[in-house]
Amino acid sequence: MIGFGLPLLIGYTLLPFVFVLLSNYLFEKTEFANYVYGLLALSFVSKLSEPKRNDFLKSIFNKYNYKKLRILENIIYCLPFTLFLIYQKQFVFSVILNFCVIIIMLFNFSTNLNVTIPTPFSKKPFEFTVGFRKTFYVFPIAYLLTYISVSVGNFNLGVFSMLLIGITCFSYYSKMENEYFVWNYNLSSKEFLLEKTKTCLIYFSLLSLPIIITLAVCFFNQIDILIVLFLLCYAYLTTIIFAKYSSFPNIINMSQGILIVISFMFPPILLIFIPLFYSQSITKLNSILND
Amino acid sequence: MIKIEKLSKFYGKKQVLNSIDLEFKKGKIYGIVGENGAGKTTLFRCISGLENYKGNITSDYTKLKDHLGLLLTEPFFFSKITGKEYIQLLANARQIELTNIEDKNIFDLPLKQYASTYSTGMKKKLALTAILLQENNVFILDEPFNGVDIQSNLIITEIIKRFKKLEKTVIISSHIFSTLAETCDEIYLMKNGEIVKKVEQADFNKLENEMKEFTVGNRIDKLELK
Repeated sequence: MIGFGLPLLIGYTLLPFVFVLLSNYLFEKTEFANYVYGLLALSFVSKLSEPKRNDFLKSIFNKYNYKKLRILENIIYCLPFTLFLIYQKQFVFSVILNFCVIIIMLFNFSTNLNVTIPTPFSKKPFEFTVGFRKTFYVFPIAYLLTYISVSVGNFNLGVFSMLLIGITCFSYYSKMENEYFVWNYNLSSKEFLLEKTKTCLIYFSLLSLPIIITLAVCFFNQIDILIVLFLLCYAYLTTIIFAKYSSFPNIINMSQGILIVISFMFPPILLIFIPLFYSQSITKLNSILND
Repeated sequence: MIKIEKLSKFYGKKQVLNSIDLEFKKGKIYGIVGENGAGKTTLFRCISGLENYKGNITSDYTKLKDHLGLLLTEPFFFSKITGKEYIQLLANARQIELTNIEDKNIFDLPLKQYASTYSTGMKKKLALTAILLQENNVFILDEPFNGVDIQSNLIITEIIKRFKKLEKTVIISSHIFSTLAETCDEIYLMKNGEIVKKVEQADFNKLENEMKEFTVGNRIDKLELK
């Protein structure tokens, strides 16, 4: 089984289709797709340049075989991108891309930054502390988009920047923590969920406050839409927290994933899903919190 | 006091704990020894409430887990949490207000660094520091000396001795017999999910010799070392 409880066979069959669909979408949407595509491919291949991994390979193979192996694995890793570029008749780009992945082989570097990024959320670890450090670059982009939305008078762009923060915070709750961290709480299941939700909504509000205030002032006549969308962000964040713990200690399963997708298409259904996920979470958490 | 009666645990059809009866009293230090796979960690997980089990575990507390500091064999760390934030996280979980965490950093850990980048020994020391600051009354320490340097080993041993004076209950598993002999009041020997022997302080040396004889025996001779 892979993420969302999808059977492995179906997952691997679907993967090429999803890849082609997304690639197609990218090439349809922008004229700079080949550049974006190249960067994507390089970032994907760069995962193979981890020093620990390659030191291990170096200790097993001699210099010649090591280089041969690294070139081969980089080219294989890049193959889906190369094939799609050829399909798009971007022959020169596909050659340049393969040349680059061969050059990358010469360098070993870690793609994980170990520099401690300061966060305003360290008083209450961990979702926002970890999440902020992984997605810190999203926030200046969102604030910049808000500035642009005001300067060009585009309310929708401003709303998008707020939703961008909402989606980013939403992603902080997609991964299940080790049961030890839940077990440690001396709260009841209800109190635990309340604490998690309260922290999430406060921190989300803090992050989106500059956008909300700016939009409320500059687009005052559309403040009602802004409030509705802000409250919707609250509702979706609450949903993801409850959905997450409703499958505890496992990650969110396929059926819960489908329910969340449905709620994106028809938000009023959250009125049913939130209490449903809540009651399931309480049941799951009771076993670990000895409630 | 913690009382364990007829504790059994199955993983599928495999029985890993078999009708265990134990009693852990206040102000006493208990050691659990046994080979890898004897069931020590499972026993600790059952006492903590991390596993379902058959039998009874009762204590003086309404919820034992809320007074229990659990040190796992291999503590788990998030990828982008610093040492200080890890301590904060575990204190928050128990509603403990911590001030001056740096002053309480008795193992001189680089608290501003991501905990996931720590060495095995440093991770163990960080996890131990975090549960020490939770103000627990009961401690379960699964291999607390594993991968830890000699200086820290001495500190941990002294902490355990201090716990005894503070009337705390401590249960330790360790493969380093000397540290157990120095700190424990009683040692239980586990084998195949059962408690096969209870040894009191006076007989610790005898137990060590017996274990050496049983474990080592003439195994090394089979290597025909030259």
